Amino acid sequence: MQKVSKKVILLGHFGVGKTSLVRRFVHQKFSEEYQTTIGVKIDKKVIVIENDEITMIIWDIEGRSAQSKLPKSYFMGAHGILYVFDLARPNTFGNIEGDLSYFRDLLPQAKVRVVGNKKDLLSEDQLNKVQQELADQVNAYTSAKTGERVDDMFRELGVEMLGKNESK
Amino acid sequence: MAAPESHSDFDQRFRKLQELLFEEDGQLTDRIQVELDALRQELRSREDIDARVEPFFDEKLEFLKTNFPDLFGAAMAKTIKQQIRDSQDEMIDALYPIIGRLIRRFVAKELERLTERIDHNINETFSWKGWVKRFRRWFQGESFQDQMMRDMVEAEVEEVFIVDKESGLLAGAWSREERADQDMVAGMLTAIKSFVESAFEQGAQDLETIEYETYKIILHNFQTYYVAVIVSGVVSSAYKTRLRDFVMAFEERYRVVTRVDITEEVVEQNSLLLKERFDEFTKSGDESDAESQ
Repeated sequence: MQKVSKKVILLGHFGVGKTSLVRRFVHQKFSEEYQTTIGVKIDKKVIVIENDEITMIIWDIEGRSAQSKLPKSYFMGAHGILYVFDLARPNTFGNIEGDLSYFRDLLPQAKVRVVGNKKDLLSEDQLNKVQQELADQVNAYTSAKTGERVDDMFRELGVEMLGKNESK
Repeated sequence: MAAPESHSDFDQRFRKLQELLFEEDGQLTDRIQVELDALRQELRSREDIDARVEPFFDEKLEFLKTNFPDLFGAAMAKTIKQQIRDSQDEMIDALYPIIGRLIRRFVAKELERLTERIDHNINETFSWKGWVKRFRRWFQGESFQDQMMRDMVEAEVEEVFIVDKESGLLAGAWSREERADQDMVAGMLTAIKSFVESAFEQGAQDLETIEYETYKIILHNFQTYYVAVIVSGVVSSAYKTRLRDFVMAFEERYRVVTRVDITEEVVEQNSLLLKERFDEFTKSGDESDAESQ
């Protein structure tokens, strides 16, 4: 069994639910109370993927509309990027590729997953509309509140970071 | 013709009939009367009641003792939490004098120890051996103030971390005793370092020291990683120099592995090196002190 540590960073506008996703994934908890993340908050979770153990050190970085203005060193050395947006707030997913291009240049080796969060706030019709609009830009639609697809989404990133092809 | 029945005969027959008809009721009444008398007697005797009731209470009490946490734990915790939340001011008022006394006692004890050390150091300083020691340290670049402080509260390495500079991932650690999660500490140290270095950007400068209470975190930066040494006690400039030289020698000799995937093997290998070398560092410190005395 191989045991390896990987740095995962969460990016996206403020209030999209990055901290809630980490809280759900690491502590299996959710709170309706909104608390802005200042700077960065670090968490850790160990998961096992096909006999390999991966220690994810998760950097929950404060949300800003222009993330490139945050200290570059927060992002450096990241093996995985989770770009999170709020499905109920179109201004948070208006420029996904534009926002990500800065990070793709900065971290060419990093694996990227785009995540639409707060699925529980949308009706089926509204969700279909967003899915059509974003086509294949999004990797997962999650709800930190209900826990839907949260573990899967982190796990899929783990699989990619380990360079494995686990069937989805 | 039969003689008419007398009045007394009639009474006799009536009583006989009555006895026949109410015999069972009479017995029942007698039994109830006996039981009623017995109950009255029991009620009168408190000791009797206690003797009968006590085993029942003992049994219930034992059950409660054993199962109290399960039965009332959650409710008690909730109530206490609520009480604390609702009466924070009262809690502070109640605890303040106790905490104050504890701190006062601790400070008094520490001052007592410090006074003892100062007395001891003054005696030693003005001895022949003391002068030799002072000159030796003075030649090594340590001021008299630092010498006095160092002798009073000796610095000690508590923990050492090797951290990948970019990712903040832990690449090795040694600790005197198990403390907080080392992966998280490495990450937070890197985040603090990143914040300070970018907020006060003055060319390529590195954060070198973080202080909290009686601890000092001394950071030694290398190309791909940094070494964070957590030291308790008073860190004199000479101790800092000795530590820096030691960490430099460690880097030159072992070429710590990072930048590749940080696997368990890499962490274990580096941690083992740290353990061996820092045990040696602690011992060499003790020996140099012993020699100079």
